[in-house]
Amino acid sequence: MKNNSKLANFLVPVISILLAFVIGCVIMAVLGANPFVALQSLWIGAFGSLRNVGTTLARSTPLIFTSLCACFAYRCGVFNLGGEGQFLMGSIVCCYIATKSGIEGLPAILLCLLGGTAAGGAWALVAGLLKVYRNQNEMIITIMLNYVATLLMGVVYTNWLRDGSVPQTASVPDADKLSRLFGLRITSAFVIAIAVGLLIYYFLFYTSKGFQLRAVGLNMTAAEFNGFAVKRYILLSFIVSGAIAGLGGSAELLGTQFRLINGFGAGYGFDGVAMALIGQLHPLATILVAIFFAALRVGSTTMQAATGVPTSVSDIIQALVIVFTVAGLAMVKLPQFKAFLGRMADKTQKEAV
Amino acid sequence: MDWEFISNLLLASVRMATPLIFLALAELYSQRAGLVHIGLEGLAAIGSLVGFLVSLITGSPLLGVAAGAAVGILVNMIYAYATINLCAEQIVYGMAINIFAPALASFIYRVYFGAGSELVQVALMRSLAAILGVTPQSFLLKLLLDQPPMVYLAYALVLFTAVYFNRTKSGLNFKAVGEYPKASATLGINVIGVKYAASVICGALAGIGGAYLTTCYATTYTDGNVAGRGFIALAAVIFGRWSAGGVLLACLFFGFCDALQIRLQVGSYGIPYQFFQMIPYIATVVVLALIGMKKAGPKGVGKPYLREER
Repeated sequence: MKNNSKLANFLVPVISILLAFVIGCVIMAVLGANPFVALQSLWIGAFGSLRNVGTTLARSTPLIFTSLCACFAYRCGVFNLGGEGQFLMGSIVCCYIATKSGIEGLPAILLCLLGGTAAGGAWALVAGLLKVYRNQNEMIITIMLNYVATLLMGVVYTNWLRDGSVPQTASVPDADKLSRLFGLRITSAFVIAIAVGLLIYYFLFYTSKGFQLRAVGLNMTAAEFNGFAVKRYILLSFIVSGAIAGLGGSAELLGTQFRLINGFGAGYGFDGVAMALIGQLHPLATILVAIFFAALRVGSTTMQAATGVPTSVSDIIQALVIVFTVAGLAMVKLPQFKAFLGRMADKTQKEAV
Repeated sequence: MDWEFISNLLLASVRMATPLIFLALAELYSQRAGLVHIGLEGLAAIGSLVGFLVSLITGSPLLGVAAGAAVGILVNMIYAYATINLCAEQIVYGMAINIFAPALASFIYRVYFGAGSELVQVALMRSLAAILGVTPQSFLLKLLLDQPPMVYLAYALVLFTAVYFNRTKSGLNFKAVGEYPKASATLGINVIGVKYAASVICGALAGIGGAYLTTCYATTYTDGNVAGRGFIALAAVIFGRWSAGGVLLACLFFGFCDALQIRLQVGSYGIPYQFFQMIPYIATVVVLALIGMKKAGPKGVGKPYLREER
């Protein structure tokens, strides 16, 4: 039975992705494009050459951070929808340190990443404190704080750190930029992202603190009766998940974008939530899902050039995957479905006899 | 701070509260049937896009609102099926709707208007005063007459909802489903039916709330134009203690915050305008923090209902 549910956990997202692609293809056909050509150019755009693979992985880097942020919080039963705000606060502090501190090179990079991490954690802590001490709905609070962070970033790039006539900040100095790997778009930020993912995986599944945190997420009341410090774990999960997002924001600034500008990080928070849910809150699966969606986005640019299908079809496919996956996972847990599976199993056994 | 500033502020508050009232009532109906719905933001997004397109094509903002309601129901049926029949986690599925519906809206917009970024605008719904052919001068007449018909609909709905939930048998049955679905079922109430009815109402109202933004407020659709109103409405339901009257007051308060930030932006006072834009969001956080969470909502909210389960 346990194997069955593991199989379902793997099969449901795969089937959902296939279904989403089928619908995506129907949409492309309706728009007058040849779906096979479109899918082919999608694949080439994402993985067709080493250069494209590098671009895909670079694109996946911020998504990995925000999806790990969502993943970690949900493991503790906290619905942190504020990944975007925490990501932005990280990048804002990072931008200040990189352009204003006067330090350069490796010490500056380390300070930037550290500052961004702290800022993300602190921003999430606001929601955490309200959740723990005022028993407040963390979803609404984190969403509201997203808007505040986005507007604050607006002040930074249109006002406080504005560089010239264009509403954007100055670029971070070359010495502070994260190094590219193998001459591709991918930077050391990707390595950091993977390292964070592995670290979370180890913490959640191989340490007693991680076990307790998951216990709080699965059943808060039971965890409390077991004497676990529930409130402390909830606060911890907020801080750590915010810190991951903040680190992601600074890594994105130093690795890819170099300056704050309108639209920086937009949508990464909700994307991260979607990816964590499709990856079923498993850190490593979540990373794979993030890379998959990054590939979809990078490839869709090539697809648009080749077939004229707008890139936003990739957003539709992503949205359909989440709609199908969540519904599918609920379906396989239904007693009726389990009974149906049981009958099927009986039947095949009888036939075998 | 002269009288003109204040009277304009109050008039704008009523206009800005209206989409929140629709959305908060949508949430109220959903939660009263035991379905917590955090996907209103998404429903409003698709409602506002469809409302915009239909009123652009037909030239009738009223048809746009109707179409917004229809698409809201349609999309919410996905949510209803997943949470009622498949017993999917409501919060997670609401989030899925929040990702799916805006993506769909944005996609339809791109496909319909192509890559060209020229701004397409649409005529707004006329105010009651304009329809009657009068130009009100005094503040009170402006407040009462110079509003689009949707505003009156919103207040009528609040009144209806208050009476329905407190004074009618059907309304009490409805509320019972949100409190104790199993007990309601033993009384012969069709629990699944009520939950679906709630989802239809919720989808329609959320769609109308979204369509209001493109038929009565802004003349064009932009991605992200709902701007967190779906979540502020959620806060309004908590703030309003799950009663129609309370929700109305909460929405008027949040509408006032929204109107205030727009008015202050015009004055500017040398402060970056983004700080004013933060006002509604910060007000929401502060209000929630101040009232705390006394558990006052329907008791069955968020819990799946399985008929066979004992």
